[in-house]
Amino acid sequence: MSRTAVVVLFVVLCGLSLMVGVKQVSWVELLSFSDDAWLTLTASRLPRLAALILTGVGLAVCGVILQQIVRNRFVEPGTSGGLDAAKLGILISLTVAPGAGAAGRMLFALAFCFAASLIYVAIIRRIQFKNTVMVPVIGLMYGSVLSAVAEFYAYRHNILQSMQGWMLGDFSKIVQGNYEIIYLILPIVVLTYLYAHRFTVLGMGEGMASSLGLNYAANAALGLMLVAVTVSATVITVGAIPFVGLVIPNLVALHYGENLERTLPIVALCGASLLLICDILGRLLIYPFEVPIGLTAGCIGGVVFLVLLIRKYT
Amino acid sequence: MRHMATRYGLWLLVLLLAVGFLLLGSGLDFDYVIPKRLTRLAAIGIAGVCIAYSSVIFQTIAGNRILTPAIMGYEAIYLLFQALLILLLGTQSLLLGRDGNVLLSVLLMLGYSWLIHRWLLRNGSHNVYLLLLLGLVLSMVMGTFTQFIQLKISPGEFSIFQGFNYASFNKAQPAQVIYSGVLVAAVCFIAQRTLPVLDVLALGRDQAISLGVDYPRSVRLQLALIAILVAVSTSLVGPTAFMGVFVANIAYALAGTTRHRVTLPLGCAIAIGIFIIAQYLVEQWLNYNTSVSILINLVCGVYLLALMIRTRGTA
Amino acid sequence: MISLQHVYKAYGAKHVLSDVSVQFPPGQVTSLIGPNGAGKSTLLMLIARLLTPTRGDVLMGGRNIADVPVRDYAKRVATLRQSPDFNLRLTVEELVAFGRFPYSRGALTAQDRVVIDEAIEFLSLQPLRLCYIDELSGGQRQMAFLAMTIAQQTDYLLLDEPLNNLDMKHAVHIMRALRRLCDEQGRTVILVVHDINFAANYSDHIVAMKGGAIHRHGPVDQVVTEANLRELFDLDFEILHSQQGFVCNYFNPSPSRELT
Repeated sequence: MSRTAVVVLFVVLCGLSLMVGVKQVSWVELLSFSDDAWLTLTASRLPRLAALILTGVGLAVCGVILQQIVRNRFVEPGTSGGLDAAKLGILISLTVAPGAGAAGRMLFALAFCFAASLIYVAIIRRIQFKNTVMVPVIGLMYGSVLSAVAEFYAYRHNILQSMQGWMLGDFSKIVQGNYEIIYLILPIVVLTYLYAHRFTVLGMGEGMASSLGLNYAANAALGLMLVAVTVSATVITVGAIPFVGLVIPNLVALHYGENLERTLPIVALCGASLLLICDILGRLLIYPFEVPIGLTAGCIGGVVFLVLLIRKYT
Repeated sequence: MRHMATRYGLWLLVLLLAVGFLLLGSGLDFDYVIPKRLTRLAAIGIAGVCIAYSSVIFQTIAGNRILTPAIMGYEAIYLLFQALLILLLGTQSLLLGRDGNVLLSVLLMLGYSWLIHRWLLRNGSHNVYLLLLLGLVLSMVMGTFTQFIQLKISPGEFSIFQGFNYASFNKAQPAQVIYSGVLVAAVCFIAQRTLPVLDVLALGRDQAISLGVDYPRSVRLQLALIAILVAVSTSLVGPTAFMGVFVANIAYALAGTTRHRVTLPLGCAIAIGIFIIAQYLVEQWLNYNTSVSILINLVCGVYLLALMIRTRGTA
Repeated sequence: MISLQHVYKAYGAKHVLSDVSVQFPPGQVTSLIGPNGAGKSTLLMLIARLLTPTRGDVLMGGRNIADVPVRDYAKRVATLRQSPDFNLRLTVEELVAFGRFPYSRGALTAQDRVVIDEAIEFLSLQPLRLCYIDELSGGQRQMAFLAMTIAQQTDYLLLDEPLNNLDMKHAVHIMRALRRLCDEQGRTVILVVHDINFAANYSDHIVAMKGGAIHRHGPVDQVVTEANLRELFDLDFEILHSQQGFVCNYFNPSPSRELT
């Protein structure tokens, strides 16, 4: 599908997203400036749309960065322990510094996510796995260990049940005034685009990078920091959404190659589109209730991941 | 000789643990506390046997030490099936004990294990870690499907249903325990008769055929036994995730031999011992009874991670 | 006698064996030689019943092997593939004992123990009897597996590249043992082997394959000629005869002819 098709699809999805919801909003009402309709739009639908787009873009771009740093096509925040580490961070912040607002919790999440990703990358680099599939496997296991630690901790402080509730990615909480942190993703994405060339070189390996004059360690750390910020902003606002960062870059690479400067915008748009699709589906499937996006993205993303794996290896 | 001492010593330890579990802190109350504990102990025993047997036998057939039925999605598909049943038939009481359910569940698991075996395990040269990854992701995807179905059932109580995904010995009812016990005893009896064949299967497909084993039939039988065991343990106690890997590997390490006559009972002892200890810790230490699962998952997850890092992807 | 009649083996559209008809003389050592991808291992696996032919029949003593029950076949044919690198914690003795499985299904009798002892002695493995196989060197492990197939007491022994990864001494030991099995016990040995020198010096019969079909077959001195080998392997050969046997020199091509 050509680039314009992607853009058109994206725009259509945005429009759909604004329209779907429990409260009926019609274009007629909007155009006649009815207060009610505009309120719905500005307080709930537009913020939701913005959050969806930014999350989709952010997670997809994170996936790309991680894949370049670790040099494996199946890595993303969900399969490298990043998501789970962010969860753990938020959890700890709830008990250690209960008064801190969203920003404070985000900082905790950021710190944990960054540290966990550093450890993960260090393990992968030091132990030269003979097997490319080992990398996401280790990541998944690492993530489930972190998850288990988080559960253990939540359990001891009796917040396990509520943690379950807000850990699963869910866009229904997005209302004006409650989500602005997610705008942090914007500068990250811009930075990533500016550094796209560097990340492509990183993806060629340490040897090539230093031969081309690029400091591998520093740039990898920078990349991990960008990822950590995005992931923590997302998890704080919306919850955990797995597989997006894995599936989108792989699908885009299949059709468009891996020259980041060219493909990054497509990755971003596709990431947003995927989330929009998942969200619309989620809102329609059991109308008027919603399926949390963590589930729809988990299902669809997981199935696509499986298909990618099977196609590649058998 | 050292190994013999280990084996008997282990069983002795487990026996002591069991007695301690039953009697310690109960005030010798034979009317209420002890019968309840007995039920839990029975559930622990049955679940332990199921996990040990299913994991060790599965690893023999799969030809490696990392995959187990739980990892390959057996438990996930069982739960998914149960959720579907509730959705379609609307009953609140799931699990074994209702005949149609047993038969259907076991048939489903058989079908699943046949599928897994055919597509993934047949050719011994397949990438073990690829299978592991597929298994993990498949379990995750099935888990989300299950959660989605639970949402359809009662969107408001969604978070309560999350609890179903945890292992717990307290859910077990006496009738269910007896039923399961009989089933498991039957399976173990059949498995005992096939121990020599299992040992030969461990040598690999080619060698087994060369030694005159009817490979397809034997594997199908073993997979059927595994299916039943997993169905029983998941229904009785809930999903146990990585415990199987842990139990199996420790059993190999302590057994000093790969003969199933030794590794299977040892595995049972280890599994039961771990469960008793975990349950005891949970009851006395932490006052909330569903964290046996979390504790075990944590320890076994770390173990599996360490195992994979140590073997560096070459196993 | 094992014979193949118009056997085909295909995987989808890919033909690995095409119209193969050949006989393996009983009581002799036959080597299957040929370049990679010629179908030698596939042929062996068809005889071992690890694969089934797409078309054609494999006969043993005039009877189609597909009709023989699994257990009985194991008493007539033993197969040894690459010694697998699983990490089974078995002693040499325990491994060899597995060879008796077709007869006693795990319950060893006194007769079984005698056979096991003989197999171990045949290959001079007594010093290693109680060692664990994962502690042995590759060559020793291969010998242990060979002892297991010997204990199986079959008329036919099929070996798929038994000399891979072995040092020269162990390779010679194995070939000598195979030779003795044939001469002293009258067993038929069929092996796939890459080293033309081992094949030529230890076999009675050679079956040469190329591109999924039989290229030549017959007694050693008929098949192992410079012309035949050049056709088979696309290499120049110089065959030198000595009192101990003969040597095929293919690794030093004469400088005047370019290797294409």
